[in-house]
Amino acid sequence: MSTAIMDHEVLTNAKWIEARKELLKKEKELTRQREEVSRLRRELPWEKVEKNYVFDGPCGKETLSDLFGTNSQLIVYHFMFGPEWSEGCPFCSFRADGMDGAEIHLRNHDVTLLAVSRAPYAKIAAFKERMGWKFKWVSSLGSDFNFDYHVSFQKPGQGSADEHARAEGQIEYNYGTMPFFSEEMPGTSVFYKDENGDVFHTYSSYARGGEEQLIAYSYLDLTPKGRNETGPRRDLTGWVKHHDTYETPAAGSCCGGH
Amino acid sequence: MQNAVVSRSEWLKARKDLLAKEKDLTRQKDALNRERLSLPWVKVEKEYVFEGSQGSTSLADLFGSKDQLLIYHFMFGPEWEQGCQSCSMAADSINANLVHLNARDIALAVVSRAPLAKIEAFRGRMGWSFPWFSAFANEFNQDFGVSFTPEQRAGKGYYNFGTGQHPSEEAPGVSAFYKNGAGDVFHTYSSYARGVEGLLGVYSLIDLAPNGRNEDALVYPMAWVRHHDRYQTA
Repeated sequence: MSTAIMDHEVLTNAKWIEARKELLKKEKELTRQREEVSRLRRELPWEKVEKNYVFDGPCGKETLSDLFGTNSQLIVYHFMFGPEWSEGCPFCSFRADGMDGAEIHLRNHDVTLLAVSRAPYAKIAAFKERMGWKFKWVSSLGSDFNFDYHVSFQKPGQGSADEHARAEGQIEYNYGTMPFFSEEMPGTSVFYKDENGDVFHTYSSYARGGEEQLIAYSYLDLTPKGRNETGPRRDLTGWVKHHDTYETPAAGSCCGGH
Repeated sequence: MQNAVVSRSEWLKARKDLLAKEKDLTRQKDALNRERLSLPWVKVEKEYVFEGSQGSTSLADLFGSKDQLLIYHFMFGPEWEQGCQSCSMAADSINANLVHLNARDIALAVVSRAPLAKIEAFRGRMGWSFPWFSAFANEFNQDFGVSFTPEQRAGKGYYNFGTGQHPSEEAPGVSAFYKNGAGDVFHTYSSYARGVEGLLGVYSLIDLAPNGRNEDALVYPMAWVRHHDRYQTA
C-alpha cells in the first residue's frame, strides 16, 4: 500500500461535495469535448472499399459486405491472433470480455460488431469456445485485409507486403511509423454499406485509440487507486490475463467477492 | 446518408487531423483521472445493512478480501416488476469484467432498493452472477443520491451533487469506497447521470459508427435500449 493512499485527506461530507463539484465541472467539460470529437469523427470523409475481401467463419466463406448482416454499419475489432499462435492475445481478450455484453445491443441499433483475426478459423472457434464468448469472429487468413488495415505486419527480413516505402524493420501503425513490434497489432475499423451494396471505410483507430472499449478501465478509473499499473511498461501488460487464467476465480454471488 | 468519398491520401490527411484531437482528448482524460485520485475522502460513519443471497451484510463486508469497492447503483425500485433497461445494458458487461477488477484488488457489487426476492428473480432471468444486494431496509440509496422522495422530486437540484433532476424515483450512479487496515470505510467517489456513460461499453463503440448514437428522434436518448432477452432478434 502506498503512503499516499494511507495519508489521504479526509473531509466532512459538505466540504467533500465542494471538492467533488469542482471535479464534476471538469468531467462535464471533458464529456462535451468528447462529444465534439465524436461529431468530427462522423464528419470524416469515407473511402470506398474496392477490394473483394473474403473471410472464413461460422457461416463459411463471407465477403466484407456479407459481414454486415442486415445492418448498415459494421465495426471490426482487429483481434490479435496470428496464424501460428496457439491462443488469442490476452489484452485483446480483456477487451473482448467487455465487448461481448455490448454486442446484442449494438446489433439492435443498426451496428454489427465482430472480431477479425488472421488465425485459421478452426483455431479461432476453439479459442472462442474456451473463452465462452458469443460475438461473431471470422478469419482473414489468405486475404490482404489485416495488412491493408495496418494491423498485421511482415517480420523484418521477410520482405514487405506493404505498398508504401519504408525502412526495413519499420511498420506503418496508427497513422505513423514505428519499429516492428509484433506481427499482429490491435485496432478497430468501421465500415458503412449503402443501399446499392457499396461498402465504405469510415474510420480506423489503433493503439490507445481503443482504450475506451476496455470497459474494465472505465471502472478502474473511478477507484481510489486508479489503474495502479506498476509493471515494467506501466500498462495493462503488467497485470491482465485471460479471464480463465487468473489465480482467483471471478466472484460469484457470494458476499463481497471472496 | 453519404459523407464525402475521397482517395486514400485525402482520407489519411483528414484522419490524421482527427487523430491529433483524439490524442489531445486522451491526454486530458489522463489528467482528469489523476485529479480524481487526489480527491479527498469522507469517512462513512453510518452502519448500512444490505440483504444478499448469503444473508445480511454490512458495507465493510461487501469489500470481501479487497480494499477497494465499487458499487453500481442499479435502478430497481421496490414496486418495480423488473430492473431498468439501461442499467441492464451496463450490467451486461459487468460479469465479464468482474474477474479483471477482482485481480486489481477491487470488489464490485450492484445495489438496488428492490427487495432481495425481486432482485434474485430478475438476476436469474438475465443470467447474471455478479453480487447484487438490496438496500430496501436502509438509507444507503438516499444517502448516496440515487433514490428520491416525492418531496425531493418536487424540487430542483437534488441529483448529481445538486446540479440536476431525474425523471424517476431511482437514478443511476456509481460509488467508490476504500477500506483501510483498521476496517474504516471511506467514500472516495460517486458519479451520476452521464458520469456513468463510460461504463456502458455500447456507447464507446457506437460513437465510432458513422451514424453515431442516432438518438435525436427518440423520446429520450436510450429509448432504443431493451433488456437483452427482449430484442426481437435476440
